[in-house]
Amino acid sequence: MRVIRVVGQVLAVLAVFLLLRWLYGNLVTNSQLRGLSLDFGFLGRPTQFQIPYHDEFDPRSPVFAMVLVGVKNTLLAGAFGIALASVLGLIVGVARLSENWLVAQLSSWYVEFFRNIPPLLVIIFFAFAVFLYGPFPNLREAILVGLPWGDGNLLMFSNEEWGVPSLAATGNLAMFSILALVSVVVAIGVWWWRTTVNRDTGAPHHRVLWSLGVLLGLLVVSYVILGGPFEMSWPTPSENRRRIVNGFALNAGFMSVAGALGLYTASHVAEIIRGSIQAVSGGQIEAANALALSSFQRYRFILLPQAMRIALPPYINQCLNLVKNTSLAAAVGYSEITNLTQTSIGNGRPAVPSIVVLMVVYLCFSLVISFILNIVNRRMQLVTR
Amino acid sequence: MTSVESRPPPTLDRRNALAWAAHRLFPNVRSGILTVILIPLLGYLAYRVFLFVAVNGRWEVVERNLTLFMQGTFPRDEQWRIVAQIVLLALAAGIGAGTASASAHDRAIEAGLPFTRSGSLDLIRRFWSVIGFVLILLYFASTTTPWLVAAGTVASFVVGLAARFLPTSWRNVGWALMALALVAGFQVVSGTSGRAWIISAVLVALGLLSVVSFEGLAKGWARLGGRTAVALGASAVVFLIYSNVVDPGVGWDAWSGLHLTLWVSALAIVLSFPLGLMLALARRSSLPALRGLATGYIELIRGVPLITLLFMGQFILVFMLPTGSNLSDISRAIAAMTLFTAAYVAEIVRGGLQSLPTGQTEAGQALGLAPPTTMRKIILPQALRAVIPAMVGQFISLFKDSTLLLIIAINEFLGVRSLVHAQADFRAVAHAETLVFAAFGYWAFSYAMSKESQRLEHRLRVGER
Repeated sequence: MRVIRVVGQVLAVLAVFLLLRWLYGNLVTNSQLRGLSLDFGFLGRPTQFQIPYHDEFDPRSPVFAMVLVGVKNTLLAGAFGIALASVLGLIVGVARLSENWLVAQLSSWYVEFFRNIPPLLVIIFFAFAVFLYGPFPNLREAILVGLPWGDGNLLMFSNEEWGVPSLAATGNLAMFSILALVSVVVAIGVWWWRTTVNRDTGAPHHRVLWSLGVLLGLLVVSYVILGGPFEMSWPTPSENRRRIVNGFALNAGFMSVAGALGLYTASHVAEIIRGSIQAVSGGQIEAANALALSSFQRYRFILLPQAMRIALPPYINQCLNLVKNTSLAAAVGYSEITNLTQTSIGNGRPAVPSIVVLMVVYLCFSLVISFILNIVNRRMQLVTR
Repeated sequence: MTSVESRPPPTLDRRNALAWAAHRLFPNVRSGILTVILIPLLGYLAYRVFLFVAVNGRWEVVERNLTLFMQGTFPRDEQWRIVAQIVLLALAAGIGAGTASASAHDRAIEAGLPFTRSGSLDLIRRFWSVIGFVLILLYFASTTTPWLVAAGTVASFVVGLAARFLPTSWRNVGWALMALALVAGFQVVSGTSGRAWIISAVLVALGLLSVVSFEGLAKGWARLGGRTAVALGASAVVFLIYSNVVDPGVGWDAWSGLHLTLWVSALAIVLSFPLGLMLALARRSSLPALRGLATGYIELIRGVPLITLLFMGQFILVFMLPTGSNLSDISRAIAAMTLFTAAYVAEIVRGGLQSLPTGQTEAGQALGLAPPTTMRKIILPQALRAVIPAMVGQFISLFKDSTLLLIIAINEFLGVRSLVHAQADFRAVAHAETLVFAAFGYWAFSYAMSKESQRLEHRLRVGER
């Protein structure tokens, strides 16, 4: 019996190995026949095309730089999408349990609608029906929302780009960033110190107040010391009104992807939130009431910790899904990694290694997120027992 | 806004509308203010939606391109094939529903329980979203053909329901007839083009293998032999019929529109399930090599988005096969979607397997059952039943993901838009209209599937007690 098991396994591995070898052999033969390269040398050669909305990108810079731009854009869309999905999902999920019939019905319609339509359709809807052919004028006639005081625009709306205010460096912004980081570390230290004080002496900790106060104080002090390292930058149309200079320009592709994925994933997050709140047993709430906890205390100390333990793993999974779904931006021309890879293959870069690079990038995202998930799971388990 | 603990009691006096409104719309001051703010907002929203749907919407974009949305660039001369397919599939559905209802009736009688037959009203309640979508299609129809097809479909479904009157011992025949109608429905379009008949032959063979039981033969091997012979014979008959009777047909390379979406999803679902099941069993096996291979595959596939696999199918798979073999775009896309979904199905099935207590396996061993028999008769039925909702959820997401084919230039239901908006009249207009129409189509099918899964889950849980 043992022999059969060993032989069977060896045969299985051998079969898979032979299959892969056969596929790879064909790949090499066919590539040689058509004169295609299989090595990764192309990463060092020039990209040879301009990335839309990235004027600072030099087409002569290597493909590797293009991959970095793509990764940055993927993460940017993913981060905004996750923020939107979390906030909206929390609101909708809690609203589904509302005692108000109208609110509960509305959020239930929201969930049933967005859960059952393809995310790609939502992205395309934003890109085509809201932005490109939607109600907004083109950039030349962009709607300008002026500042209530002085010159400049608070916001700019067009069907290609939206302008929002941002911070611009006027002095030593790098130094300020370092100081800001230090302040955050100090604030965390203060948090930890107050927790220790509370644990050892029983004095009220006021962690939030202390930490935020220290953080704000340090930030203000460093801003003054550095003599104002940054100022507000308001969005302005360029001379020929073809671009937005100053401020921060959000292009339609980015808004479509982040907005659509945020709306879509929010429906899934809402279901997770609702399920996890409902999963906390009613006895817990009765116990909290018996202890005469206030409504806030009941949420903060009884309901939330238990619901969170149930909700966090599926929530992190949804975040991973959202990051992977940013690849759908390939359909609307937002320059994230999948779209750039597709363009670069179209521009004659070798397909096979390009796609391998693309898959490795996504595998890295997945690995990082599953690593976080594992840590969360371990910590959650510690909390239970 | 919310509190879990103060939800209203389930018994509510709905006859008194005022009391109901006071209870559900104005339970307290905070909630009342919310209602007062929400009602005008909702009214305005409803007004805008009404304007879009009934006044401003340029719905002629759907009306003039309805055929394009339904079947895309499918050759117009061969349209009768799709009509025949719809009618045959309705027949299969009718036979299936009739046989299922009859066997439920048998079981109820056997158990001495009252049996209530579900009426047509029940069917409408279950599939109202799809029926609504079909009605909208009929509303947009400019000729009588769609109406005739709809009437034919309903008629054929009703004819199929007659399978209910087959005698009890013929129940398997009912199932076999359904499988045949199903396969015929697929084949009437694809004909013998490509190697499509192989799919039908395999399906018929598998169907008969599981249906024909040869109860009379005592010996296991004789029974197996008989079943294999029947299965092989059936596939040979399928081949003969389809190579002689049905013309070449239209291979799926020429399919597009909603027709393609539905078939691609159905094929990927059917193919990914057995693959995922095998992967799950391999990952749970006690053989380390097998486990390692399955785990590696599953984690690799789950770590990347579907679009990268579709790119792989498009750009790499061609080169991985021997020189000269040409797999069509759609076959490669179906392969990529199958490989992708199989990894997720495997994880879902593994969850079901892990949810079972080890006592179940031990009970099987105590009864002296061989491990494969324990797995097949004791573990899998329970494990699969536990994961039906998750599995249907995965299949819904596969159905929604079929939209990704448009990124690799295959015109499925959503991708047909690119053909519609290439027309001079609709170049820069009516994008919202086509998108809303497509969204409603996807929504109707996904919603029906998710409701069906909830119903199934509920019914199976009832059966457990």
